[in-house]
Amino acid sequence: MLSSILQVLILGLALGGVYALMASGLTLIFGVMRIVNLAHPIMIIAGAFVAYWLFRLYGLDPILAMPIAAAVLFVIGIVLYKLIFEKEAANAKYSEMTVLLTFAVALCADGLLGALFSNTQRVTTPAYGTDAFIFGTIFIPKGQAYAGAISLLVIGTLLAFLNFTRFGAAIRATTQNRAAAQLMGVNVGRVSLITFGIGIALAGAAGALVSFIFSFFPAKHWEWIAILMSLVVLGGMGKLMGAILGAFLLSVIAAFVGTYFGSTWSTMTFFLALFVILLVRPQGLLGDKIEEA
Amino acid sequence: MPELLEVRNAVAGYGSGPAILNGADLDVAPGEIQCIIGPNGAGKSTLMKAITGLLPIRSGEIRLMGERIDRLRPDQILKKGIAFVPQERALFPKMTVRENLRMGGYTIRDEAELKRHIDDVLDRFPILRERAGQHAGTMSGGQQQMLAMARTLIVRPKIVMLDEPSLGLAPMIVQQMFDIMRQLRDSGMTVLLVEQNAVVGLKNADRGTVLDLGRTLFSGPAEDILKDPRVRELYLGKAAA
Ligand SMILES: Nc1ncnc2c1ncn2[C@@H]1O[C@H](COP(=O)(O)OP(=O)(O)OP(=O)(O)O)[C@@H](O)[C@H]1O
Ligand SMILES: [Mg+2]
Repeated sequence: MLSSILQVLILGLALGGVYALMASGLTLIFGVMRIVNLAHPIMIIAGAFVAYWLFRLYGLDPILAMPIAAAVLFVIGIVLYKLIFEKEAANAKYSEMTVLLTFAVALCADGLLGALFSNTQRVTTPAYGTDAFIFGTIFIPKGQAYAGAISLLVIGTLLAFLNFTRFGAAIRATTQNRAAAQLMGVNVGRVSLITFGIGIALAGAAGALVSFIFSFFPAKHWEWIAILMSLVVLGGMGKLMGAILGAFLLSVIAAFVGTYFGSTWSTMTFFLALFVILLVRPQGLLGDKIEEA
Repeated sequence: MPELLEVRNAVAGYGSGPAILNGADLDVAPGEIQCIIGPNGAGKSTLMKAITGLLPIRSGEIRLMGERIDRLRPDQILKKGIAFVPQERALFPKMTVRENLRMGGYTIRDEAELKRHIDDVLDRFPILRERAGQHAGTMSGGQQQMLAMARTLIVRPKIVMLDEPSLGLAPMIVQQMFDIMRQLRDSGMTVLLVEQNAVVGLKNADRGTVLDLGRTLFSGPAEDILKDPRVRELYLGKAAA
């Protein structure tokens, strides 16, 4: 009994790490640009496809493919920003319209990936994908343990970058007060561009991990939109630590719900949580009171 | 006298809305304290935002030492030597006093130089040294205004622009602020400020400019403007309406 609880807890935490990685890019982008990027999950799927094909064609381990997936998605992010969001960013209407734009991007990318690779279930199968750590009666799949640990490593690197580098300070300043950052000499257009690229790159990195812990197909991103929204809303929109905390919390709860009530309810946990948070505490765990910006 | 900053016939407005500045003019000489006055909604803050590049002008010209700056971004204008404290102060509330000051020196890439500049500014504002580790958002209004002003000085700008620095401050603190401005002027800096309280502003300034309905009505030595009956009329007229 105790060991099964411990097992569910560890699995929940490992998955929580991956969710936190997914949510971190989304939160970073929202913080700097006030864009709710509904295309974030399809970018995760795109990252998973990069890892998948590198594995299929060259036998490259998906964990080693992670930096490549991140780099590819960084470039995609930069191109998307230049093509679509740069003009919007200068516009007063900004956040209202950009949500619809990201929705359109999600639809197009979904259609494109579906046309290229079809909507069949795929998964990369490195050796550790079917292996497990066994401690007495506790059974931890290696794939999930690795994915969780690597996610934490990437998130730690991101936090260090934000807190200890000059460009990180520019990102934090732009998040807190865009006009003030400009007045300090920050080129906020460039900060937005690079941050968008980093955010999408983080989605790509998460995708490489997703490729061996879940089976995936292009249309799966719809389900993740709701999951990711619940994480970042629980944490407080744009609050990185909040999103990370929200990811671990909900992931662990979902793991327990899944174990005792069945896996349908596990996914429902996220949707219900999103609903309840918006009703009870719309500013999230770490968010400030909702105020006019 | 050669002007340091010149605004000629500036027209500006927000988004696709009506023009708020309707041909504003401004001349700022090096080493002076100049005070812009005018009734609420006259466009004083809008003029400040236009000069610093936060709000691009639709027509007209803005020149710094003869060079056009009206098509530059705010970060480029800062590098030219114009620093600005907006009406709402624009601190980073979740950053400490020290982090705010470091952001003030964002364009200084040499760490030793940045430290030296911050140290020099802290000598001028001892209260900030005591509170270096405190979050900016938790300080009092006066302390926040001190920090906002101190933060612009890190880069040692040619011109410091302050939009209503006395807003919401106790009279004693206001006098302290103006004392600091005079020290800055005496050390060669130029100060351009907006004051809601025309008497206090002009008494502490060398020159004044009067703005109404987005236009410059007139400008001149501060004591002349203080005595000008048109100024009295402008304020009383608005109050009675
Ligand atoms: N962000 C904005 N968007 C649209 N209109 C604005 C904006 N800011 C100011 N305005 C309008 O521009 C006009 C001038 O405003 P401005 O803030 O420049 O006046 P001000 O002289 O600084 O007044 P105050 O003494 O009240 O600070 C006002 O009618 C105001 O409603
Ligand atoms: Mg104003």
